[in-house]
Amino acid sequence: MAETPRVGVFVCHCGLNIAGVIAIKELIEYAKTLPYVVVADDNRYSCADPGQEQIRKSIENNKLNRVVVAACSPRMHEPTFRKCVMETGLNPYFFEMANIREFSSWAHGDNPEQATEKAKEIVKMAVAKAVLLQPLEAMEVPVTNKAMVLGGGIAGICAALDLADMGFKVYMVEKGESIGGHMAQLDKTFPTLDCSICIEGPKMVDVSRHPNIEIISFADVLRVDGYVGNFKVKIRKNPRNVIADNCTGCGECRDVCPVEYPNEWDMDMGVRKTISVPFDQAVPLVYTINKDYCIECYKCVDACGARQAINFDQKPEEVELDVGAVIIATGFDIYLPTDDQRYGYGKYDNVITALELERLILAAGPTRGKVVRASDGKKPHSVALIQCVGSRDVNKYEWCSGFCCMYAVKNAILLKEKYKDDVEVYILYMDMRTHFKGYEEFYRRARELGVNFIRGKASQILEDSKTKNLIIRAEDVALGEPIELETEMAVLCTAAIAKKGSDEVARIFSISRGTDGFFMESHPKLKPIDTPVDGILLAGACQAPKDIPYSVSQGSGAAGRAATILSKPKWKIEPIIAVVDQETCQNTRVKCAICQKVCPYGAASAPENQPARVTPAMCHGCGTCVAECPTDAITQMHFTDEQIMNQINAALEANPEEKILGFLCNWCSYAGADLAGTSRFEHPPTLRAIRVMCSGRVDRDFVLEAFREGAGMVLVAACHLPYDCHYISGNVWMTKRMQALKGMLEKLGLSPERFRIDYISAAEGSKFAEVITEMTEQMKALGKDRILAENEKLRPIIDRMLARKKAKKAAPTISASSK
Amino acid sequence: MPLKELKTDTENTLTIERILHTKRYSLTLDKTLCVGCEICQITCPREAIEIKKTPKKNGEKAQRPIFDVSEQKCSYCGMCEPICPFSALEVRVDGQRMVPVLEKESFPKLIREIEVDPTKCDIDCIDCQEVCPLNLISVKILAPGGKEISPEEARSMPNKENLKVKVNIEKNLSPCCRLCELKCPKGAIHVRKIMHGILRINLEKCPDGCQDCLDVCPIPGALYLDESDRKVHTNETFCVFCGTCTIVCPVKEALVLDRRTIHHTPVSSGAWNKALEKLTSAKEYSKEAKTKALTKAKKMAEKRLLLKEAS
Repeated sequence: MAETPRVGVFVCHCGLNIAGVIAIKELIEYAKTLPYVVVADDNRYSCADPGQEQIRKSIENNKLNRVVVAACSPRMHEPTFRKCVMETGLNPYFFEMANIREFSSWAHGDNPEQATEKAKEIVKMAVAKAVLLQPLEAMEVPVTNKAMVLGGGIAGICAALDLADMGFKVYMVEKGESIGGHMAQLDKTFPTLDCSICIEGPKMVDVSRHPNIEIISFADVLRVDGYVGNFKVKIRKNPRNVIADNCTGCGECRDVCPVEYPNEWDMDMGVRKTISVPFDQAVPLVYTINKDYCIECYKCVDACGARQAINFDQKPEEVELDVGAVIIATGFDIYLPTDDQRYGYGKYDNVITALELERLILAAGPTRGKVVRASDGKKPHSVALIQCVGSRDVNKYEWCSGFCCMYAVKNAILLKEKYKDDVEVYILYMDMRTHFKGYEEFYRRARELGVNFIRGKASQILEDSKTKNLIIRAEDVALGEPIELETEMAVLCTAAIAKKGSDEVARIFSISRGTDGFFMESHPKLKPIDTPVDGILLAGACQAPKDIPYSVSQGSGAAGRAATILSKPKWKIEPIIAVVDQETCQNTRVKCAICQKVCPYGAASAPENQPARVTPAMCHGCGTCVAECPTDAITQMHFTDEQIMNQINAALEANPEEKILGFLCNWCSYAGADLAGTSRFEHPPTLRAIRVMCSGRVDRDFVLEAFREGAGMVLVAACHLPYDCHYISGNVWMTKRMQALKGMLEKLGLSPERFRIDYISAAEGSKFAEVITEMTEQMKALGKDRILAENEKLRPIIDRMLARKKAKKAAPTISASSK
Repeated sequence: MPLKELKTDTENTLTIERILHTKRYSLTLDKTLCVGCEICQITCPREAIEIKKTPKKNGEKAQRPIFDVSEQKCSYCGMCEPICPFSALEVRVDGQRMVPVLEKESFPKLIREIEVDPTKCDIDCIDCQEVCPLNLISVKILAPGGKEISPEEARSMPNKENLKVKVNIEKNLSPCCRLCELKCPKGAIHVRKIMHGILRINLEKCPDGCQDCLDVCPIPGALYLDESDRKVHTNETFCVFCGTCTIVCPVKEALVLDRRTIHHTPVSSGAWNKALEKLTSAKEYSKEAKTKALTKAKKMAEKRLLLKEAS
């Protein structure tokens, strides 16, 4: 080590958030006793300007070369303080954060004394890591200033147009035959009753005509490689059997085609020809032959004639796009309640969904705008719109789908305006949710038009077998009694659910999904457009159900976020990556290549007889290879073995048998623990947590060291299996590795409950608190004596196992033990 | 209303339906007309039709195969309807009879060429009516003034030369087997077969005592049992080449059916070409294609000549 560490510890009061629970003075005095700590000070708000100024001054005055701020979660303010430290000329990676707010003052507010004790050890662990920190330089990678927008609905269209207008090249990749999305299926839009396709159509045409946009429709994304600024996306263009460049969209082929099939675009209410476009305004206006139904009579070939646009031998074509940023705007699906007997959907002819009603009432739809019953083809004289089918239902989909109240009101108004007094319209609802501009007024308009609003959820729909009318049973909350309503048609306003295939998209792009199946944003409030993967952004209803104005806004927002990347010639990448020691790597001698096998990003490569290498720009810094390397030849920057071992030692120096040592992954479990604190879920202050970027980083040696030092319990917590891991598969490798170790330790006499592998998501604050409470109780139940006895028995065995590691760090220049 | 795909099986019919909110399609099999042949199965472009062999019970006669169709696979193109030699199938769109492939001229109709000259008929002869295996012929005697009379009345009538005979043949249901033509003593009926080809039994491979093919054949005389060798033999004169026999034949290559030509209305369609190739052979299909090309070339040449003359 070139220079002796000079550590400054700065304790933040966070107003009363920390100071209201923790004895700040005591903590400062304690910090001063820690090795290499030169100065310890406090501030009411360290993150505010005066607090930062105090840190900067102290660095200069005391010639500090390591800084520890004891405050909130590093997930909150680590970047703030790194920047602050950097301003004094110190390397930003000489900064370490001690999370005494979420992990102590907020989590143990009822127990100030123990919270203070815990805070002391959190600071001690941070100092232990800080003294071993090494300076790192952020890497810069070039940025390809092109973007891909996946999904051509209204959100994707707005994102693409904004980016293209800023001068960036945009590839719009759409799975279907045409862009337009759900909005192009709708009749009129609330609250102004503009015709949907009349306002979206011109935008669709703008997309097709824009010199900076290339539409790649009827295509699937197969693979994504690379990283922010430098993605390589492999796309498969599916064969339309029509040559796009030759097709004029005249439709003469459609007229001669004999075979029809159900049109998905019309919700299977009408049909389309085997060679056709899904709807008249399709963009691009290129016909498609559905080979599943085609009888190959070649009448279309004759009709097309000299244009020669039809090619029955078209093969799928693969293309690779280079883009700097990706906007995912894949949209949502509508729930079809065929599995719910109560509503009779699929059983009774005159029960339809709201999207089906859109297709009926739309002038370009299969009935040319006539609302008719399937049973007799006649116009209904009474229609009931039933809200919250599948939505707000704990047994089905818990969430409110957001836009159903408004479209139900809209459909009621449309029916009333179209058929006047010839139709009676009822809306059965739980709550009318008409927030946002102009919505409440629209609701009042419906009431004034004579739409009957009945508060109460429909419990059952029955059919009169003669008239095919529907008898709707519900409870009228206003009357406080059950009612029965007979109508000629029932329209189910069903839940908006995650798009089919979202799991596949999540896997390909390494992004995660919530329990509801929608894509997860990076932060629910402050990063609602970003995903945890840099350079991949979300727009529209793929993140959660959204109406049109909201989707449009988010589309433009995503374009703005993408532009922050695309507008830069270079992008800085965090240098927390894996580095292989070329000397100790055994791949030169034996066929190892384990790092290559476990790396989720293909960043590690180990050619035969050569030492392994990690491509820095491709490495995401999960540390899985570091933990798996049999010769410990790989180091993860900023999370080195030595640093983590030092944290373990610091955590377990006093009364280890009364503590739980936890390894928490940054994205899920650490965030879950933060949430437990933020939500004030009280739990025992027994945990000493070590943050790793991914659970895949947790080395067997860490767990062994913890037990050697006498830890009462050890917890390794990760993202949920199988797909929640932010590094694709780090949690899978961790599980494999730790299950094997757990089995071995149990055979050696360790009580099974003392080593726990669990999965806690960022949303599971309560689960985190439960896990810690449960483990603490188990620890108490086992008793100190038993734990000590087990440890006594295990220590010599673990000593032997760790001998190699010990030998390697035989002469530590800096230790964590007290002065 | 979500898409519905239904199947209804009754004693005399099998119906599949595809019901959409705004359109409905149906395909109905008349079981009384279906003989369980393979023509529709071979033709169906979606492989929706299955002709199921009926398991044979010991000591009993072989049963005709059973027609089945998948309501999920069928696309209601209607190719099976015009190709059925027995006209057992019927496609409807929105309740109206409509064959989409005929509507768009993507498929031909079979030509049933049956001509009767009743002036040649003997007054009380009903041989054709009796010989028709499908009961498609009815012979009527008309008195002067058009009144229908019974044969007894006819026999007792004094002026037999004033009586007329009317022969009614339900042409649309006829597979054109020619039994009536050959039975007619006066040569009053002319039938041209729809399909021509070869039907042979390989006596070496044909198992002794088996007459399954004969049991299921819808046309008496197309197959017959020869008392001398107790084996089934063929008579191509009457065979309609429906192929029911090939389905039940238990031994490979014991029975060879080779369709050569199919008499149909002119059409230019890839779907028909494919069906023709499957029903006959690549060779037969190329023959038809060649003829078609020749006819087309001839027509073009004539047209040009006419133009020349005109100028």
